[in-house]
Amino acid sequence: MIKFDNVSKRYADGQEALSDISFEVSRGEFAFITGHSGAGKSTLLNLILAIQTPSSGQLIANGVNLNRVSTSQIARHRRQIGTVFQNHQLLHDRSVYDNVALPLEICGYQPNDAARRVRAALDKVGLLNKEKSFPDALSGGEQQRVGIARAVVNRPSIILADEPTGNLDPALSAEVMKIFQQFQSVGVCLLVASHDAALIERLNCRTIVLEGGKLLADQKPRPQA
Amino acid sequence: MNATKRRNDNANQPRVKRNTRAGQSASFVDLVKLHRRIARDSASRLLQTPASSLVTLFVVAVALLLPALLFGLNSNLASLLAGFQNSAQVTLYLQDSVSEADGEEISNDLLTRNDIENAYYVSPSQALDEFGASSGLEDLLTEMTANPLPGAIVLTPSDVSSVAVDELARQLQKLSQVDVVQIDSLWLQRLAAISNLVSAIGRVLAVIVILGLFFVVGNTIKLAIENRKAEILVIKLVGGSDMYAARPFLYTGLLYGLGGGVLATLLQGIVLATFNSNLEVLMRLYESDFQLRGFGLMSSLLIIVAGATVGWTAALMASLRHIRAINP
Ligand SMILES: Nc1ncnc2c1ncn2[C@@H]1O[C@H](COP(=O)(O)OP(=O)(O)OP(=O)(O)O)[C@@H](O)[C@H]1O
Ligand SMILES: [Mg+2]
Repeated sequence: MIKFDNVSKRYADGQEALSDISFEVSRGEFAFITGHSGAGKSTLLNLILAIQTPSSGQLIANGVNLNRVSTSQIARHRRQIGTVFQNHQLLHDRSVYDNVALPLEICGYQPNDAARRVRAALDKVGLLNKEKSFPDALSGGEQQRVGIARAVVNRPSIILADEPTGNLDPALSAEVMKIFQQFQSVGVCLLVASHDAALIERLNCRTIVLEGGKLLADQKPRPQA
Repeated sequence: MNATKRRNDNANQPRVKRNTRAGQSASFVDLVKLHRRIARDSASRLLQTPASSLVTLFVVAVALLLPALLFGLNSNLASLLAGFQNSAQVTLYLQDSVSEADGEEISNDLLTRNDIENAYYVSPSQALDEFGASSGLEDLLTEMTANPLPGAIVLTPSDVSSVAVDELARQLQKLSQVDVVQIDSLWLQRLAAISNLVSAIGRVLAVIVILGLFFVVGNTIKLAIENRKAEILVIKLVGGSDMYAARPFLYTGLLYGLGGGVLATLLQGIVLATFNSNLEVLMRLYESDFQLRGFGLMSSLLIIVAGATVGWTAALMASLRHIRAINP
């Protein structure tokens, strides 16, 4: 579903954020991406989202060749991906409900259908009672959960999450991971960037370790005892 | 777990093998609802900055008003001209030496020509009576001992085109009894030429105005987009196309065009009313009850539709250009 083939990314200022990365994540697979700050985790997710283009190497995600994509292809590609952004990327002049409804509105869902899905997604992240609030009136963790609801509302084929639990307490983090695992179980491909060693350890998923833009390790889950 | 909760859960059961087109077949009613919401949203954004929105609206209205007034003036001129069509007259002022009997005879002779539709003789005394009656100076005129007016033959050409009338006048000038030939339709021809000029100016002005409107609306949209850059960025991140992000701005352009058009027809009404009160005085002098007409429903609609079209198109061009430049 996602295939990196000797991908490197060098930013315009000469900074090489990723070098020679190769790995593949298939449908129904849940993989963590970990590594120190600045290791290139966000850059890797940005490449999949076509926010950045690879400097070299081949990258294919969801059947789209991300080395060469047109503007309209990019929009269609992003609609298939649910993304939790490190900095939330919420619309501050729209209510929580409208924020979560945005991907559905873009896809032209019927309002009734959309309303049901939005409420279901908000319910999953425990924010059903905040649907009329505005993001600025929410705590960091609540904003993060709005972003998570928005990422899953459109039943994406791929979920990318950049530090989705950065502002959440352990109990909420576990909740969010449970939601992700639900999606995994129906074949969604998940890629979650995280620092949270304890969480990664506990979930026992495949873990891709980056260091200074290089792929340090690609650990398969430990066999269950 | 209550029933509501269960339904909610089902609604969001993740499903990877989903129909990507699902939900894209929103019904027409939903589509109308959606667009009405976006339009309302755009309108409320305009109201958030009432001063600058009003200025833009006014600029659009005045820009539309200028060519509209010219075309309106011209259509009035044209209808004025139409009223005089077929009324081309040629007056032959006869030499003083020509007697009334000779005048009658020449007039009758002219009637036999097939390029003359009608001709009649006006004797000097008839001319004096008519002048006296129309000027109200009878008393003064009766005190005059000699009649200063010449005899005249008034004739209507069969062919009223200016070429034919000119040719006829040239031929009649050769008659020895004729002193002066006067083509009464000359001023009509001049008016027609002016009318053509006015409509040509109107067309040029319309082009300039459309270009100007593109600039004004485009610039306003550009500023609006800059103000909402963060929002456009988020829309793009979750897969909104440029066209989707442009939609509210298209309504903004449409609203400016529509509002400007409506304002222009109102302003035009005011301008016409002002003109008409002045014109009335002038037209009374010419014993005419001619009045400037408004543009009527059709022309007003045309202004509004033209404004809306230009506003929308300008917004489309500007927003696609500027939105394309916004990238994460
Ligand atoms: N737009 C950019 N232009 C230039 N350099 C960039 C850009 N974005 C990231 N970098 C650089 O690329 C490297 C990797 O950054 P990236 O954001 O991918 O790290 P990260 O692993 O997500 O870090 P963190 O855990 O702090 O979020 C960093 O050294 C950063 O300075
Ligand atoms: Mg990061």
